[in-house]
Amino acid sequence: MTSMTHDESTAMPRARLPHRVGPLLKTGAIRLIVPMLLVFLWWLGSRSETNGLFIAPPLEVAQRVISDFLSSDPRHFFLGDVARGDLVPSLWRATLGFWLAVVVGVGLGIALGLQPVLAALFQPLVHLGRSLPTPALIGVFFLLFGTGDWPKVLLIAFGIVWPILFNTIDGVQSIGTARAHVASVFKISSWDVLTRIVLPGAAPKIFAGVRVALSLSLILMIISELQRSKNGLGNLLVSNQRNFDYPGFWSVLVALALIGIVLNVLLVQIERRVLAWHRGVTLQHD
Amino acid sequence: MTDHATEQPAPAELVLEQISKTYGQNRAIGDISATIPAGKVSVIVGPSGAGKTTLLRIITGLEEATSGRVLFDGEVVNGVPEGLAMVFQDYSRSLFPWMRVEDNVAFPLRRRASKAERTRRVAEALQAVGLDGKGRLYPWQMSGGMQQRVAIARALACQPRLLVMDEPYASVDAQTRAELEDLLLSIQAQLDITVLVVTHDIDESVYLADRIIVLSKPPSTVTEVIDVGLARPRDQITTKEEAEFVHARAHVLRLLRGTATPDDASDVRVA
Ligand SMILES: Nc1ncnc2c1ncn2[C@@H]1O[C@H](COP(=O)(O)OP(=O)(O)OP(=O)(O)O)[C@@H](O)[C@H]1O
Ligand SMILES: [Mg+2]
Repeated sequence: MTSMTHDESTAMPRARLPHRVGPLLKTGAIRLIVPMLLVFLWWLGSRSETNGLFIAPPLEVAQRVISDFLSSDPRHFFLGDVARGDLVPSLWRATLGFWLAVVVGVGLGIALGLQPVLAALFQPLVHLGRSLPTPALIGVFFLLFGTGDWPKVLLIAFGIVWPILFNTIDGVQSIGTARAHVASVFKISSWDVLTRIVLPGAAPKIFAGVRVALSLSLILMIISELQRSKNGLGNLLVSNQRNFDYPGFWSVLVALALIGIVLNVLLVQIERRVLAWHRGVTLQHD
Repeated sequence: MTDHATEQPAPAELVLEQISKTYGQNRAIGDISATIPAGKVSVIVGPSGAGKTTLLRIITGLEEATSGRVLFDGEVVNGVPEGLAMVFQDYSRSLFPWMRVEDNVAFPLRRRASKAERTRRVAEALQAVGLDGKGRLYPWQMSGGMQQRVAIARALACQPRLLVMDEPYASVDAQTRAELEDLLLSIQAQLDITVLVVTHDIDESVYLADRIIVLSKPPSTVTEVIDVGLARPRDQITTKEEAEFVHARAHVLRLLRGTATPDDASDVRVA
């Protein structure tokens, strides 16, 4: 993984932009231009003679998203049939896999980061794991863990743990010996060193890894459901395609894009709070 | 500050006995013996690479000497001694940017003092370094000089009997450096603690010191121990005009260049 330490869009000072562009960006008007252009191209494509059959028009797809994923029934939390039958199981597995990867990646990363010898020992293994083509391993996971939710959850976790692990090791090692000396001279307890020096110190890098892992987890969620799956958005994609239900197929893609956007916004908000200090330091040294 | 001073424990005396340190083939410290008197300011000067930082690491128990021993109030140092606090050279790396100033200062007191006691000591320490009311800021919202004050406050909050500083003012401008020198001297006088400073700056060494320990090139030995008799409180202008200051400074400079003769020392008392 690239060791990008922070998201440019949040770390860049707004003050650098010309004054009139700033407020415009804030209202989000500029950010909407590209998506609107894409929808327009999509619409053009749907009207073309050759591809129009496979490309459902945007309006029809939007209607399908609403009818499949939303309902007016409060007992179902306003979730439509597809949302309850496929979206929820998919997200449940992705969430489980994601947190599993975060716990293992951060835990192991801190252990390896604190022990240069261990890190050196495990380095080849980490590189190997990182370069394994996870989607190709799906058969192995079904073989090892049966056919239920677990092979899918573990595939997701296995595929996304590497960027987290890598960045955590990197983050821990970036804290430096100066801070270690401070901890010894002031006799800081091991627990406080872990929770108040190591974790916060590595947090900027950890977040960079988690950001990559988050988008990977959605991709792997779909891939894990493409075969031998009874439900899930991946399964729905395949079955809609088989049934020539192209509006249904496209509605899943749109739903996925929306989920991706929502999750990313959530992560950015959390990062903003947790890493406010990091933005401050970066701005000061710029 | 008055009640702070009354509960301040007695200053510690430090004795270095034939310290040497070898890294592989590299003899960094040859043989250093010296006494850092209790309740005084001692300054170590020496050429780059003379092992000053290494010596401080040995004194603070972060590293073991190859031979020799350090006595902290008569007790052999083995691990970081109780009652020792340190100010590091690089404040940007010694303070924790994810903690507010007050949390940085209170951090070493966690699990050692009650919440109320911590709050009180943090307030006192911040006041002592002229930062009262700045506790809610983050270090990166402050100038370099202010950050180094925070580092000093953090050390003071531990109520040390020995305060050790490794080139504490190397990364601040001349004006701030002078202010921080005076701050250190006034705190030392008020709290009655032993202070040991490493510096590259000869003016600074004479201005601060009751005792200057001049080290030779590596493998380093003590070239000379100079007791500075300049009156206190010292003043950045008048003290530096005094004949003794001027002579002591020239003498230290010659010692560091290796061109000193005993006559140069006529105006300073050589211990
Ligand atoms: N951890 C270490 N491992 C190996 N050699 C070291 C180590 N620390 C210091 N040295 C060596 O010991 C010698 C003294 O280093 P030290 O940093 O103590 O000098 P110094 O007097 O503080 O120098 P400066 O004035 O430049 O800060 C140097 O030759 C250095 O290379
Ligand atoms: Mg040094």
